[in-house]
Amino acid sequence: MMLASLIIVPLAFALFIAVGPERSAARVSLVGMLATLGLSILAAFAFDWGFGGQFQFGMSVDWLPGLGLTLSLGVDSVALMLVLLTAVLGPVCVLASWTAITERVKTYYAWMMVLQAAMIGVFAARDLVFFYICFEFTLIPMFLLIALYGSTNRMRAATKFFLFTFTGSVVALAGLLYVAWHHAQTRGVWTFEIDALELAARTLPPHVQALILGALLLGFAVKVPLFPLHTWLPLAHTEAPTAGSVILAGVLLKLGTYAIYRFVLPFAPEAVIEYAYPLAVLCTIGIIYGGLVCWVQTDVKKLVAYSSVAHLGFCMLGMFALNHAGVTGSVLYMLNHGLSTGALFLLIGMMYERYHTRSMKEIGGLGARMPVWSTFLVFFVMASVGLPGLNGFVGEFLCLMGAFQASDAWGAGLWGTTPGDSTVGGTRGSLGPWVAAVAGTGMIIAAIYLLYMVGKVVFGTLREPPGHASHADHHAGDAHRAAGLPVDLTRREIGALAPIAALCVFLGVYPKPVLDAVQAPVERTVTTIAEARGKPKFRPPVELAPPAEHAAEGAHP
Amino acid sequence: MLHQALHLLPTLAAAPPAHADSGAAATPGGQLLMLVPALCVLAALFSALSGPLKIRSKIPGYFSVACLAGAFVAVLLTYLGHESGVKIAHGFEWITFKWGDGPGQALTGNFAFYVDSLTLLWMLFVTGLGALIALYSVEYMADDVGLGYARYFFAFNIFVLSMSCLVMADNLLLLFLGWEGVGLCSYLLIGYFYKKPVAVAAAKKAFIVNRIGDLGLVLGLLATFVAFGTLGYDPLFAMIRAGVDAKGAPIADSWVTDVIPLLLMAGAFGKSAQVFFYVWLPDAMEGPTPVSALIHAATMVTAGVFLIARMYPLYAADDDHMALSLVAWCGAITALWSATIGMSIFDIKRVMGYSTISQLGYMFAGLGLLAPTGAAFHTLTHAFFKATLFLAVGAVMHGFGGQLDLRRLSGVARMRGFGIVGLAMLVGSLNLSGVPGTAGFFSKDMILAQGFSTPASMIEAPQAIAWVLLLTAGLTAYYTFRAFFRVFTGPVEYLPGDDEHLLEHGRHPKGTTLAEWHKQHGHGHGHDHAHTELTGVAARRAHGRKDFDPTTEEFDPHPPGWAINASLVICALLAIAAAALYFVKTPHAEEGGWVGGMIERSSAAFHSPHEFNLLGITSHSAMYLVSALVGLTGIAVAAFLHAPKGWQGLFLGSRDTAATSRADALTPRLGRVARWARAKWYVDELYDWFLVKPLRGIAYVSSWIDKLLVDGLVDAAGALPARVGRVLRPSQSGVLHGYAAGMAGGVALVLLLVLIVLN
Repeated sequence: MMLASLIIVPLAFALFIAVGPERSAARVSLVGMLATLGLSILAAFAFDWGFGGQFQFGMSVDWLPGLGLTLSLGVDSVALMLVLLTAVLGPVCVLASWTAITERVKTYYAWMMVLQAAMIGVFAARDLVFFYICFEFTLIPMFLLIALYGSTNRMRAATKFFLFTFTGSVVALAGLLYVAWHHAQTRGVWTFEIDALELAARTLPPHVQALILGALLLGFAVKVPLFPLHTWLPLAHTEAPTAGSVILAGVLLKLGTYAIYRFVLPFAPEAVIEYAYPLAVLCTIGIIYGGLVCWVQTDVKKLVAYSSVAHLGFCMLGMFALNHAGVTGSVLYMLNHGLSTGALFLLIGMMYERYHTRSMKEIGGLGARMPVWSTFLVFFVMASVGLPGLNGFVGEFLCLMGAFQASDAWGAGLWGTTPGDSTVGGTRGSLGPWVAAVAGTGMIIAAIYLLYMVGKVVFGTLREPPGHASHADHHAGDAHRAAGLPVDLTRREIGALAPIAALCVFLGVYPKPVLDAVQAPVERTVTTIAEARGKPKFRPPVELAPPAEHAAEGAHP
Repeated sequence: MLHQALHLLPTLAAAPPAHADSGAAATPGGQLLMLVPALCVLAALFSALSGPLKIRSKIPGYFSVACLAGAFVAVLLTYLGHESGVKIAHGFEWITFKWGDGPGQALTGNFAFYVDSLTLLWMLFVTGLGALIALYSVEYMADDVGLGYARYFFAFNIFVLSMSCLVMADNLLLLFLGWEGVGLCSYLLIGYFYKKPVAVAAAKKAFIVNRIGDLGLVLGLLATFVAFGTLGYDPLFAMIRAGVDAKGAPIADSWVTDVIPLLLMAGAFGKSAQVFFYVWLPDAMEGPTPVSALIHAATMVTAGVFLIARMYPLYAADDDHMALSLVAWCGAITALWSATIGMSIFDIKRVMGYSTISQLGYMFAGLGLLAPTGAAFHTLTHAFFKATLFLAVGAVMHGFGGQLDLRRLSGVARMRGFGIVGLAMLVGSLNLSGVPGTAGFFSKDMILAQGFSTPASMIEAPQAIAWVLLLTAGLTAYYTFRAFFRVFTGPVEYLPGDDEHLLEHGRHPKGTTLAEWHKQHGHGHGHDHAHTELTGVAARRAHGRKDFDPTTEEFDPHPPGWAINASLVICALLAIAAAALYFVKTPHAEEGGWVGGMIERSSAAFHSPHEFNLLGITSHSAMYLVSALVGLTGIAVAAFLHAPKGWQGLFLGSRDTAATSRADALTPRLGRVARWARAKWYVDELYDWFLVKPLRGIAYVSSWIDKLLVDGLVDAAGALPARVGRVLRPSQSGVLHGYAAGMAGGVALVLLLVLIVLN
């Protein structure tokens, strides 16, 4: 019931908002978000962290038993933590929209609550149908948030976002349905329970797993987004309202990484092992390419949007390292990126509300005007850069560590004197130190583009858009007051940022609880991979041509 | 940590420890040192909160001084109670988790301290100088009270915190936390005057250049983990002393002793501004001067030296000492290279900056030449005398409106109130030049002598390195006294600094432009004070100059107050007293005095070979004579070219104005070389043209590709169904759902069929 209530409560509040009066919508929404947050914290206390690898709070409702359709819920520690992330960002998003949304307020907040329910549903789902329904259903509220409340280019952005992610997930659906079909073929019954399908999928021969991998990745990698499927992201981020961007970066992208973690790795382990290297190359390209593109942006929001491409490259790199450090790092990265990048979008939204521009050509040196805002910006930039002591570092380091360790070359050739006798700290895998070294340049590039942004926006001589400059010298902040906002942050805005900052410090200084909690699920994933490595590679004498998307990725190194 | 060490014991039982006295396993203890980070955090929090609490006084400053002094006392007490061996003070588990029970199946990055004499040596001067320079800052930053004062002390305390973590860490991961933390504080403090574009650019440059080295450090850390299965020093050193990795395979002559030291070296060179990485440090002089003294001279920049000293067992484990040779050569070349720049530029603070790079080069050369004691001793003496020099330069800067050009200041030591500054400067200069009897002389000598003693079979061409260092010693004496003679001796003459200093000190109310401020205050400054005759001289001389700014005509140099003078005196006394450490007899080491004893008891102990005699005398005795001669020659040349007439110039000089000297006639004869050296050999320009601009070009191309190619293709593909959709569209938003549902069903069906058929 715990999980069901986490989905039902936001939906109920959506209903309240829809039937209630326009002016109380924001407040009702805040209450709803806080209620969801409270429930999720309750869930966190009720959860038995000692058995984090097992799915708890399980419940299952028969829907169409003839077709094997049920609605099942359940969370392990990874899923629960992503639910918590979603729940934490919820009230923050409402606070961020408080003054920014002035038209069609009811519609806005109602859809926001629906979105919240759908996102929690994705993480809580234990059967494929419910997962997919929620996964797809996040698109509609998000589409509307961008299309109705975005900036100038919003229709194009919304359509592109929708088509892009939708097309991808349809392909993923085909892959998932195929696994269900395979289960029905071999076991004689239809079911969409993820556990059962996992086992069924693993019996598939490697070349079919490769097809599944391709199909699932096409769907989920769009969401992540993995290079080169990222092009919807900068536009959608830039055009979305602040809360939309926060949710997009904070949670929606994690739907992709979570789906890859939940489905791709267990469903097609042999194929993942086979294609880990080309996938890691894509991640690395994403890290460097995304970072460099950030560096030449003039739109602050676009800069932060592209930084997601680079950051999630790290996240996926850790995942494809397929070892403990890497997968742990990847899971932590999901949480940490949600917090720090979410906060950066919030901050940019606050700036935009005051100046109605996001261009670094028009704005600069705000440190003199908005010291509190600037302090928060520098703080979250440092979290994003991966400064040890703040949250970003833990995930980034572990992802790099995983990639570095994962090499079959340890103990052979250059890396050892006795071939075949691998080193203690190395693991099986195809990534290795060179991939880690190249991806590690992303650390440098992240510093380059983020400090470039700080240098332009916070430091230097004060520059404000023409409408503001005339007022600035004589009556500082007149223009702001006209917009109903003071020069620097209000208490409401600080209230939205401070909890995230506190979490960033906590997760950076004492990540131990999270690290411990995710060990059991990660252990399960890594065991699956290890078992798959042990399997003999059975390749039937096929006349099948490899699918087109893999022909391009090249053979295994 | 301890259970890991115990776990390894069976593997190591066969191998005897190399150094009996330092091979003992670590014991818990040294918990008192946990006070150091606690006090720093307390002071930082107080500074941070004094903004919201509207504390607009010097209280955050004094509070920080008290906390840092407390930290120093904690370190001192620990030192007094420390005999030998290693103690580990456990704080809490940081990035620690395990996925198996075997070696290499747990990552242990605890917040725990590894307390041995190397740690204590570093901590003594880090906290001691930290407290002292905090005291200096209380006065130096006084103009910023209520503006950036709290921000300054926040970063200052976080810096000492990070530096303590760096030095005291019991594992490489926590070292990295401190490593990046000091980088952050360096960034924040260089960019303290954030309205100055130069300062902002310098801060950014420092952080990014450091990050390049940090990548090497991270990879070195990961390689260490792969080979040894741990990042903790204690188990690490146990294995390294036994000469094996975690599997029991010998590490000598394997990738472990080649790759890891080189990667760590990259990190060390980044932080300590060596070879390719040095460019950030001269620019870092944009920060407030106390920051330059503490971070960019005495402590943070020695982190690289510390890292290599800490990991010395691994460096020494290599058969052919490949990494150490490289460290030595890089250090020596950097020392010479930056000395040539220091000789030719006119900005005294930057002269000190380049001299720091050069002296760090000596330390690295010392490490590379198998003289870790010499390197550590030089780090210690340098910390004191360079801090003294910077604080003296800072006092001048503070007093003369930020003037730093040595052609525009003269005879400062003779002005009223600047006597202590002049004396302190003299003490620092004598040390830096290596004049016999000073601490700098003995420490530099240890490195040089070892250079002539180390056999070429162990390090590549050690004698050549020693000659390079000897030449550099001469150049160092020259440029140090060039600055001293020109600024502190001779006729009293000065021009106040540019407006930037006023801006940086925030003396004008926030928000008003500088021009406006000048209108209000331009002639007001100094009116409250009685004019000294000195001002008259300055004004008289200054009137003949084209570039004289009339708004500051009645400029009144303000001599330092008690806080600055007190910290200067203490710092100078410490710089003098450091020489005595050389003669302290300890039971632990035959030579090197107190520092020798500290190093000998630590993991950095190395029994350096002595087999060289020069003309029948030992290398040390020979070096005393030779380096004394070289140093004094440098000073004499400086006196001849730059000193005023009479006793002040050792009866060699002839200068009678601030702006000109005998060197002016000499420089054109050197032609391009002098010009290029003054332009810092165009290294910044080279980097700009060959690294930054191409990278930025690639970035633009990538952005363009992203916008046009990838995006365009996707748009084109996306347009097709959208067109179809438009035909069917009954309303704006309703269509998408219906059409999406239709499309979903259709596409999924087709793909499912394809999959089934394919199988």
